[in-house]
Amino acid sequence: MAEDDSEWIVESIVGYLGSPEWVIPVTDFMENKCTVFDEEDENKLSYTEIHQQYKKLVEKLLENYMQDVGINEQQFLDACTSPFAKSQTLQSVFQPVLATDDFQMFRSLMVQKNMELQLQALRVMKESNGSLPECLTDGVDMMTELQQQEMKILEEVLRKSKMEYDEEMSRRLLFEEEVGSTSSCCSDKPVAESEKAQNTTPAPISTPKVKSSPGRNEDSKAASTGGGKEKSAAKSGDAPTPKPDSGKNSVLPAVRPPARSGEPSSHLREQSGGRAAAQADLEEAHREAGFSEPYTHLSASQQEQLQQRAAYLREQRDKLHALRKEQKSKQTPAPEEVPANPAPAPSTTQEISAEEKKRLEKRKHLADKLKEEVIKK
Amino acid sequence: MGEAQKLDLEKARQAGGLLSVIEKLKGSTEQEVRIVLLGLDNAGKTTLLKSLASEDVNTITPTQGFNIKSVASHGMKLNVWDIGGQRKIRPFWKKYLENTDLLIYVIDSADKKRFEETGLELSELIDEENLKGVPVLIFANKQDLATASPASEIAEGLNLHTYRDREWQIQACSAVSGEGVQDGMNWICNNIVNKKK
Repeated sequence: MAEDDSEWIVESIVGYLGSPEWVIPVTDFMENKCTVFDEEDENKLSYTEIHQQYKKLVEKLLENYMQDVGINEQQFLDACTSPFAKSQTLQSVFQPVLATDDFQMFRSLMVQKNMELQLQALRVMKESNGSLPECLTDGVDMMTELQQQEMKILEEVLRKSKMEYDEEMSRRLLFEEEVGSTSSCCSDKPVAESEKAQNTTPAPISTPKVKSSPGRNEDSKAASTGGGKEKSAAKSGDAPTPKPDSGKNSVLPAVRPPARSGEPSSHLREQSGGRAAAQADLEEAHREAGFSEPYTHLSASQQEQLQQRAAYLREQRDKLHALRKEQKSKQTPAPEEVPANPAPAPSTTQEISAEEKKRLEKRKHLADKLKEEVIKK
Repeated sequence: MGEAQKLDLEKARQAGGLLSVIEKLKGSTEQEVRIVLLGLDNAGKTTLLKSLASEDVNTITPTQGFNIKSVASHGMKLNVWDIGGQRKIRPFWKKYLENTDLLIYVIDSADKKRFEETGLELSELIDEENLKGVPVLIFANKQDLATASPASEIAEGLNLHTYRDREWQIQACSAVSGEGVQDGMNWICNNIVNKKK
């Protein structure tokens, strides 16, 4: 008699656990709360809060059920512990109930649900777009925060160096007008300047140039004491910032130079832009590293670290420079455009290349495997 | 709802609620033990936990949430909950104390400056309703450091001898080398067995 009773009750319970009265609220709860559950080994404190809420929900649902059916907890328990209920097939049905008492089980249910939702989202995206955005197929989105930060810095550095370059160019333009227009003087200038730094050939043409701009004067001093261009660039963190547009030059608006005239112009830019940008790099690196003291007050190791960082940034910027130059030579100059933007535009093409398909397949396979593992857990 | 049913539910609540019924549904034959692992930040809780689970102890970072490991020992399943010890997390400790069979409290024996702080936290735990009569094992950790205080000295500082309402034990150990950890576990198993039988 008791056996019959519990069998009837078990069947009723199983029926309830498959009915909308149970499935809808429980699934709703899981779908709403599962997004914070990840694969990390460490549990978040918020998991506990969610588990408590889940316990309350299940408790309420089961109480309502028992009232409706008219059984008490003892009968419920007897039924659940009967051999019939312990059969393999029914154990999985009871999982969401057991999860109230077993945090680990609850957690794996939630992680699994989260993964299901992600897969669903992938599927929907694929169906509506025909293909997945690039960032979802080959891990372009794996760019770390640090890298993104670095990209921002790079962009800033680029912008600054360009500004300084433009100023320098307009200044030179002005100077050229002052000195006169011998074409040889124009193209020799950068060479003359760098050579003067090494104290080899003090070109006569450079004398009026020094007078014309106080900023330049300091520049050459720093270079000559430093002994070489490379060193002076590295040291320029200590040197006072040369203000290219101080003095009478500031009267004139900063004009963009006309079309870049091949070799000499790019050489020029390498020098002036590189030097000023090196300082900007150092400052950026300095700020980014979170040092509140001025650069010169830092310890040797910190300075070294900053130098390294600056060198790295310089290298990256040079690469971008090259890229930009290349782009410019191909099309009409678009100076405001910095090709460093990492944001991948979601592809809208309806065609999926065979390669992409393969990648997608791989990813799906991986997800399926993960899912399987979680379920088996 | 009938009066009788109301009474039934009321009774069930007093006895721990419906969930205590569900607890019995799990048909495991193993005896399960719930252990909570607490202590100040940097005491070595997670290292101890990983050492108990025979996992690598070299890549541990400060715990922001909590870790759980199940360890089989003496025919029992020990579910050990290690909860972060940073000051901002400590208010959450009491959410994990319900149904706890045993408390492990970890102390950095070389951090003399914080002996008072750790003593205060321990005495607060001892007064918790959910830990009433719950045995406590104190690990005087980091004995591998030269500046570590001996366990006896720490026991005195904590006034352990005044604990009359529960079993307690202090065990010197080094979670990094594993020394003393097994002795502590043996004490736990003996005590749980005694208590539950």
